[in-house]
Amino acid sequence: MVTRIVVDPVTRIEGHLRVEAMLDDDNRIREALSSGTMWRGIEVILQGRDPRDAWAFAQRICGVCTTVHALASVRCVENAIGVTVPKVAEIVRNIMYLTQLVQDHVIHFYHLHALDWVDIVSALSADPKATAELAQKVSPHWPKSSEGYFRDTAATVKKFVDSGQLGLFANAYWGHPAYKLPPEANLMAVAHYLEALAWQKELVKIHTVFGGKNPHPSYLVGGVPCSIDLQSDTAINIERLELVRSKILEARDIVEQLYVPDLLAIASFYKDWAAIGEGVGNYMAYGDVPQNGIADVAAFRFPRGAILGKNLGEVLEVDPTNSDEILEEVGRSWYRYPDGKTALHPWDGHTEAHYTGPKPPYDHLDENGAYSWLKTPRWKGHAVEVGPLARMLVGYATGRPEFKEVVDSALGRLGVPASALFSTLGRTAARGLESQLAVGWLQDEFDRLIEALKNGENSTANTTKWSPDSWPNDCKGFGFAEAPRGALGHWIHIQDGKIANYQCVVPTTWNASPKDAQGRPGPYESALIGTPMADPKQPVEILRTIHSFDPCLACASH
Amino acid sequence: MATSPILSPSLTTYELLRQHGVSRRQFLSFCAMTAASLGLDAKEVPRVVSALETKPRLPVVWLHGLECTCCSESFLRSSHPIAQDIVLNMISLDYDDTLQAAAGHQVEQIRKDLVERAKRGEAEYVLAVEGNAPTRDGGVYCTVAGETFLDVLRETAAHAKFVIAWGSCASNGCVQAAAPNPTGAKPVHECITGKPIVKVPGCPPIAEVMTGLLTYVLTFGRLPELDRIGRPKMFYRQRLHDKCLRRSFFDAGQFVESWDDEGAHKGWCLYKMGCRGPTTYNSCATFKWNGGVSWPIGSGHGCIGCSEEHFWDDGPFYERLANVHLPGIETTPQTIGVTLAAAAGAGIAAHLAGLAIQRARSKSQAATEKANTNSEMEV
Amino acid sequence: MDVLAQSRRRRLYEPVLVWQWPIRIFHWVFASAITVLFVTGIYITHPISNATGEAGGLSRMATVRTIHFTAAAVFTIAFFWRVAWFFLGNRYARSGFPQLWLPSWWRSFLRQAWNYLRHDYRDVHLGHNALAGLSYVIVPVLGGAFMMGTGFAMYGESNPGGFWDSLCGWIRPLLGGSFRTHTAHHLVAWFFLVFVIVHVYLVLMNGTQQKNGLISSMISGRKFRRIEDSQRTENDDGQGA
Ligand code: HEM
Ligand code: HEM
Ligand code: NFV
Ligand code: SF4
Ligand code: SF4
Ligand code: F3S
Ligand SMILES: [Mg+2]
Repeated sequence: MVTRIVVDPVTRIEGHLRVEAMLDDDNRIREALSSGTMWRGIEVILQGRDPRDAWAFAQRICGVCTTVHALASVRCVENAIGVTVPKVAEIVRNIMYLTQLVQDHVIHFYHLHALDWVDIVSALSADPKATAELAQKVSPHWPKSSEGYFRDTAATVKKFVDSGQLGLFANAYWGHPAYKLPPEANLMAVAHYLEALAWQKELVKIHTVFGGKNPHPSYLVGGVPCSIDLQSDTAINIERLELVRSKILEARDIVEQLYVPDLLAIASFYKDWAAIGEGVGNYMAYGDVPQNGIADVAAFRFPRGAILGKNLGEVLEVDPTNSDEILEEVGRSWYRYPDGKTALHPWDGHTEAHYTGPKPPYDHLDENGAYSWLKTPRWKGHAVEVGPLARMLVGYATGRPEFKEVVDSALGRLGVPASALFSTLGRTAARGLESQLAVGWLQDEFDRLIEALKNGENSTANTTKWSPDSWPNDCKGFGFAEAPRGALGHWIHIQDGKIANYQCVVPTTWNASPKDAQGRPGPYESALIGTPMADPKQPVEILRTIHSFDPCLACASH
Repeated sequence: MATSPILSPSLTTYELLRQHGVSRRQFLSFCAMTAASLGLDAKEVPRVVSALETKPRLPVVWLHGLECTCCSESFLRSSHPIAQDIVLNMISLDYDDTLQAAAGHQVEQIRKDLVERAKRGEAEYVLAVEGNAPTRDGGVYCTVAGETFLDVLRETAAHAKFVIAWGSCASNGCVQAAAPNPTGAKPVHECITGKPIVKVPGCPPIAEVMTGLLTYVLTFGRLPELDRIGRPKMFYRQRLHDKCLRRSFFDAGQFVESWDDEGAHKGWCLYKMGCRGPTTYNSCATFKWNGGVSWPIGSGHGCIGCSEEHFWDDGPFYERLANVHLPGIETTPQTIGVTLAAAAGAGIAAHLAGLAIQRARSKSQAATEKANTNSEMEV
Repeated sequence: MDVLAQSRRRRLYEPVLVWQWPIRIFHWVFASAITVLFVTGIYITHPISNATGEAGGLSRMATVRTIHFTAAAVFTIAFFWRVAWFFLGNRYARSGFPQLWLPSWWRSFLRQAWNYLRHDYRDVHLGHNALAGLSYVIVPVLGGAFMMGTGFAMYGESNPGGFWDSLCGWIRPLLGGSFRTHTAHHLVAWFFLVFVIVHVYLVLMNGTQQKNGLISSMISGRKFRRIEDSQRTENDDGQGA
């Protein structure tokens, strides 16, 4: 008999995700449905508006990956109207982008993902002294690893648990056999959960300097809205830049001495998850962090490309503006296309809600019908996974030395082969490894900024195309960002200075998409297939694999 | 408000802070800071101290509807008190799908149990809502565990002590309620009735405004004074424009005219770049963002009015005044005005032309008559 | 001067005090206030940048706003002054009032509109005609009330909880918030411009086409009526046909 389990809400994610899984007799997942259960219609709302305002609307697609939609948005408008941003603006955008990437990854690891691997209750029985020793071994340079520190943490946890008000930690799967960390590792992770929570608010101050606030900093078509002027006390000056620099240094410490060591330490207990959760085996990245203008794709720090069938021997070219490459289907989604069309390139995309699911309250979705507010994007007909793993693989397969270095070193430390990357564990590890690259790049971008300022370059905005009168009457643009969760694309069609069409295909749309016309499942659905469940009533295994993608459903359906 | 003892034996904020390695002295200075951030007198500090020392943690249910989760993200950025202190020491965040350890049935069970116990008078909780509810098509645009968010919201609100509407989504509708509002999204106060609602608008609200509200409630055991539309006066009393550091340039008539121009470098006023500071009520200019680092206007972009109702539909953001939407046309108030004035001018011209024609006609008529008489005379 | 003509005129026309001094004062004060309000108001929306000098020593925008607020105070006083004179003044002070419920008013209104369209200025009124009366109620009276309401609602914003905010602050949420209040205030400002254009045109037109001293009446207070006209009362004050 097939058991069907439902996880709704999937928690510790952004937005509303529902997973239904059909289990075989041996409690292995045979088939899974990934369903986004919320839709707001931002693409529809954007129609008819001033393209220069679009970034603010698009940014509200998500407050967790806040900024990347704004970035993709200004890029698509700039692409459409034909304006290039000054070098300094490009660098500032890179700094903001990388800041977001690192902050989001650290939060994901400690606050959204860790509890899949870390048993808080087990931490109660940890010996603070042994924990201190473990922590010092894992990360010799991290300053807060004293016995007293862990004793305090343990006491906090104990009192918290004793209070009977378990809050966020109530009703979870503590004691589940899938938890494998020794108590000391659990205690260390709990302490770092709190450290990371206290720290994450610091890094985003970089956004506050350049964009005035975080979440949702300000952006600008044609550049960035802040002026940089070392002789002014009302523009970004040396004091502001020092603040940025100090936050970059802190980020470096957190990633190199807390995040990556914890990640590898925890991963070493869960190597079996290197064989679970592979997914579709196809990967795609648009690339990002331009060094020489947005048009020079070859100079991006994150390269662009696709890998099919786990073949690291070949990186395929990706052209998101080619109407044969990226198509979105709605056959299994609650939308409808005009004239019986089944798949559309985003420039011709269409968003019209058409709910055909069960009437709420409901118990099950219909696996044979439409079952999600996500559309189904496909690249050249393939379901592809996007995200940190895709980026690391594309970088690795392209042969970029810095990618090879971090990946090979991690594989070596864990003692696993490269094939381990195609897994739940690989996905989670890739996120940490790319954070390592990102903090290095943050430093580099900051240095480039200072270098440019030394050379007297400080223009932050190109206003030649500010006025809609200077735009073509009819133009189309594509903008992108390698969002924390993967390749993000915005496609705009501008007519008479107004948005005629705006379409977003978002990382989580790729990853959490429902099946396509050929019945091929999306990456979440594929990755769950074959997963053994210890106790179907406590679906921690589902959470592990799903969380390894870092779902964002507000993004996905928008 | 939760003045009666709540549930099982639980720790007070003070005890938890102590456990957290905080000394009594640090605790007192924490209380003083908290009091200051609430704009309280020094003599109120003991009250904060005693509140935090003796009250058990306040159970909070935090629901997410149509939203972007950025209000949660903002909350986590609070610097005084820090989010960790709130979640571990001040409130008991009993339900929050963004951060909750449990998932699926287990997490819904928590909410249902709490509502059930509150219904029986055995528990109390505060409902915090981030996002809002779609109301069109039976609410299918947002469901949680197969139920519509609208139902979840109503059910949870029914037994809450009071409701906090976090952010512009919950307070005003925000982006998904912008025209044409495809999902029929409605802010909290339009979805539930009969409960005190505190609106904390902003997209997102400032972290310290969010945590400050909670601290106030915990300290004084009551809601703060609200303004006409339900916002805490202590955070939304004044316009940004009246507290803006560029205000002297506004008064002087010194404006940024173009991005990154000389005025921008000199910190001049962003009024002509569309700044909504003159019409926006929020604490950005005073508290600033992310621990006081900066705020949108401080970093060179005008305010887009993110804490105001309708701000999405009051664009374009870079124009001084909103476009006016008339059936079939979207135009600016100036265009309407100038068009009307021109039409009046044209009407007058036409009217005068009419007079001229009339005159000319009667003249020529007179002339013909005269000519006729003349010719008669000639005959 | 032609003595004969003068004596003929004296015979045919007699002066009537139509506009008592409070109306005349009101008129010119009000007209000046509106002119200043419109100009400063549009300037507030589209200020000209002052690119020189130091902020502390300059106050161009502040000055313009102060002028706007001063004119607004004058406007407001004049407005209520005129409202009072509606009750206290002579019959002409109430003339032209749109009695929308009276068919006779509508007849008179349509006839006036028709006459204007075909340049027939033979109907002479001592008070306001129905069309004029309606236009005064729509723009200066209702529009004026709107401008005062929204204006003081905005004025009160800089001192929340203060007198003006307490008195008029409720208007902002009613209109959908502060920003929409500004937009509405700005939009209605243009209706004043349209009113002034049409009003001045019709006054000049009537004044030149009719020989009853219309234009000078807002200064002297007197209009002239033909002796035989005094027998007919219908058009005197708009209360009749
Ligand atoms: C800003 C410009 C002006 C405004 C707002 C304005 C407003 C008004 C108002 C409200 C009335 C009604 C008076 C009452 O019943 O209290 C009126 C009447 C009148 N105004 Fe003006 N006025 C303006 C300019 C002028 C000018 C420039 C003239 C002269 C050339 C003028 C001549 C008159 C006359 C003759 C009347 C009486 C008309 C009648 O019998 O219906 N006005 N005006
Ligand atoms: C016929 C009468 C009036 C006209 C034509 C007029 C016109 C205008 C215009 C065009 C604006 C610019 C709107 C904007 O861009 O925000 C404005 C602003 C304003 N007006 Fe008036 N107004 C009138 C009466 C009043 C009155 C009676 C008040 C009462 C105090 C008032 C107070 C204000 C205020 C406070 C502002 C906003 C100034 C600012 O934002 O700096 N106005 N007015
Ligand atoms: N998926 C997604 Fe995002 C990201 N990363 C957006 O582009 O999270 Ni909200
Ligand atoms: S109010 Fe704004 S920031 Fe908050 S959830 Fe809504 S869209 Fe996001
Ligand atoms: S920048 Fe904005 S808030 Fe500041 S003074 Fe200018 S208009 Fe007002
Ligand atoms: S856009 Fe929002 S964050 Fe403050 S400055 Fe304006 S209210
Ligand atoms: Mg889309």
